[in-house]
Amino acid sequence: VRLIIAEDETLLREGLTRLFADAGEEVVARVGGAGELLAAVERHVPDLVVTDVRMPPDLTDDGARAALRIRESHPAVAVLLLSQYVETRHAVALAGSGGFGYLLKQRVLDVAEFLDAAGRVARGGSAIDPEVVSALVGGHTGDALGELTPREREVLALMAEGLTNSGIAKRLWLTDRTVETHVRNVLMKLGLPAGADDHRRVLAVLTYLHAAHVQ
Amino acid sequence: MALGRLLAWTGACVALLLAVACVAFNLLAGDHGESVAGLALGLPALLGAAAVGLLIARRRPANAVGWVLLADAVILGFAIAAPAYARYALLESSPPLTGGRLAALWDTEGWPALFAGVVAVAYLFPDGRLPSPRWRAVALGAVAAFTGMLVVTLFRSEPLDPPFRQVERPLPSLPTTLLDILQPLMLAGLLAALIGGALAIRARLKRATGIERLQLRWLAWACALIPLTIIVCLIDDLVTGRIGAVTLVWLALVELAIPAAIGIALLRHGLYELDRLVARTVAWTGLTALLAAVYALTALALGVVAGGDSNLATAGATLTVAVAFKPFRDRIQRLVDHRFDRVRYEALQTVERFLQELRAGTAAPEDVGAVLRAVLGDPTLEVAFWLPDARAYVDSTGHFVDLEHDAGRAHTPVRQGTAPVAVVRHDPRLGARPQLLEAVIAAAGLALEVARLRVQVRRQLAEVQDSRARILTAGDDERRRLERDLHDGAQQRLVSIGLAMRHAQHELTERDDTASATLDAAVKELEIAIDDLRATARGLRPSGLDAGLTPALSDLAARSAIPVQLDVDVHGRLDSKIETAAYFVACEALTNVAKHADAAAVAVSAHRHNGTLLIAVEDDGVGGAAATSGSGLEGIRDRVEAHGGTLSLDSPSGGGTRVRAELPCV
Repeated sequence: VRLIIAEDETLLREGLTRLFADAGEEVVARVGGAGELLAAVERHVPDLVVTDVRMPPDLTDDGARAALRIRESHPAVAVLLLSQYVETRHAVALAGSGGFGYLLKQRVLDVAEFLDAAGRVARGGSAIDPEVVSALVGGHTGDALGELTPREREVLALMAEGLTNSGIAKRLWLTDRTVETHVRNVLMKLGLPAGADDHRRVLAVLTYLHAAHVQ
Repeated sequence: MALGRLLAWTGACVALLLAVACVAFNLLAGDHGESVAGLALGLPALLGAAAVGLLIARRRPANAVGWVLLADAVILGFAIAAPAYARYALLESSPPLTGGRLAALWDTEGWPALFAGVVAVAYLFPDGRLPSPRWRAVALGAVAAFTGMLVVTLFRSEPLDPPFRQVERPLPSLPTTLLDILQPLMLAGLLAALIGGALAIRARLKRATGIERLQLRWLAWACALIPLTIIVCLIDDLVTGRIGAVTLVWLALVELAIPAAIGIALLRHGLYELDRLVARTVAWTGLTALLAAVYALTALALGVVAGGDSNLATAGATLTVAVAFKPFRDRIQRLVDHRFDRVRYEALQTVERFLQELRAGTAAPEDVGAVLRAVLGDPTLEVAFWLPDARAYVDSTGHFVDLEHDAGRAHTPVRQGTAPVAVVRHDPRLGARPQLLEAVIAAAGLALEVARLRVQVRRQLAEVQDSRARILTAGDDERRRLERDLHDGAQQRLVSIGLAMRHAQHELTERDDTASATLDAAVKELEIAIDDLRATARGLRPSGLDAGLTPALSDLAARSAIPVQLDVDVHGRLDSKIETAAYFVACEALTNVAKHADAAAVAVSAHRHNGTLLIAVEDDGVGGAAATSGSGLEGIRDRVEAHGGTLSLDSPSGGGTRVRAELPCV
């Protein structure tokens, strides 16, 4: 996978670069700001962009805004946003298109899982941080989410994170067939269309959760 | 000054002597004497002009108006005395007396002089100067016209008016051709001068405000009669065939109206500040007369009762007078004040009423400016209050007033002892009545001092409020800085260290399982440390606020344990202080809902309307919440109020809780 790393903290940028290099990926560019990131994407057209959210020039959500522009100008370039803190807005806004991920920075420390999520995003899948998902899932008792069994809620959370059926099966130590049944039940209880692509499914689940919270 | 006084008295005496002479010669003329009607017409005007003229000329010798009125009185004296003397000297006396022909001539031809006095008053009233330098040409023209007209009438050849038709003119006649040219010319000039007088008063009336306007108004009415004289003359001429009785009556009316109007302005509207003098004279005269009467009556009564013991009667009468003095004086003073100095009397009455309303709590001390404006008749009057701590003057709303650059305004300081209280800024023309101004300000002193203290307290309160907002903002800025430091500094550094450890672990390969396990454990510890840091940073300030209130609130709603119905309609960014305050209102209210309300649903709304941000959090829980001291709600109330907003809490037991905050946003 050819990728660009955008991160203003030098030490962290180097660490990320080494991490991907160790995994055998090709880091084509390393940048420290949103403007340079957009320029680098124009020049290299990579498979994946891994970018910090808070970056120069404004040091607010520059990375996320750059990601939105990349999704518009280069729909084929996957984007993985890394953030210091949890906020649901960008995650939900960008999740719909597939080839998108939103993870807390500290997830890089769990190297295998992080590389797995990055790979999923690069292939057009999704990766949403469990904390974002739990922020969305949490606290529902009275509505349709309340009707889910504990196991089904676990499956829903992993679906929202962007895992495939087999990914979920691996994470929960279940057979693929059992996971399929759970997924079908969850989608049915929430009234969502069954049998969609993985990323469409993520979008549907995230949108549902977001809407359930913010009517 | 003594010469001026002598001259004034002389003028008045000459006018009076002429009036006496008029009566005397009419009596001496016997059958040839005039009827009393002529005297009755001229005498009131003469006396009025003499009295008012004397009063003004003595008190304001620099003002031409008094002298003009005195001259007018003398002219009137000649006007009534001349025919009387002529009748006696030419018709009754035999042989005719010297000067009789001149008197007869003046009776027929002296009439332009009768207009001169009233027109001069119209040009010069009230300050004794022309309305503006531009009027100088007009005034010179008028003088020329009057002089010319007098020359023309005195030196023409027509027979004199009856009963002196047969009397030969004492002065030579000018050539007829010259008279034919001069007469219409001078007549036109005279008419122009008459109209000019009315215009001069009108011009002054237009510029005048307040008291000056009141003073001018009466004279303006009187002067409006002057140009009408021409019309009256014409009608008289048309109807009766000659300028006679009707014109005379009219002219006498105008002559009387002028001093009468000035007299009213003097006594009722404080012209030249003479009202006090007149009032005091009248008051003391009245008091003296009354006390004398009381003394006499008491002495008489006691004398009758005690049987002629004069010592007892004198003592009793003296005692009665001594006891009666003060109440009598007060009563008479009030009566006289009420009659004569109406402006001052009513001004002080109004101020007194205002002070009563102040004590009753129905008026605000700040209204003192409006009261002063009303009673002094100066709509431009303003009060500037002294602030000792700022060492500056401010208006009633607490804004600084620049008294240094206050062109065209007069300042009257108000003091309490030696301490400055305020400065009254007013029309310089009020300075013409320093006693009235002084009396009114002295009467309103207490209200001014109270108003000053209130302005001072309000300003200090505003300063405290400002500093509260500043402290809060400084705190918020510090929180933001700390949050940034934690997220971008410490937290990132920990992630970098973790990555370095992972790299080290990678380098190890599988040769050293113990080391690898140690690194695993260390990285896990790091992750826990990072989680702690994130939680701390989020408590300091939500990063979501960077993107604005709407995303921050939607983030907040997404995290809520209870489903939130969000209704946000806030376009664009607001002041970050206001956004932060609004966010904390929602945040604290939602925390309370989760902790205490036992609610099934909660609605958060934020709307921007007419410069106000209204944020409300309403739940359907158990209610009964109170913003007790030290509670979170108390904290957000402080925060909202520090930014000039208000917070209301409505939480009846069992009826849900509504927290509403209104924040000003531009």
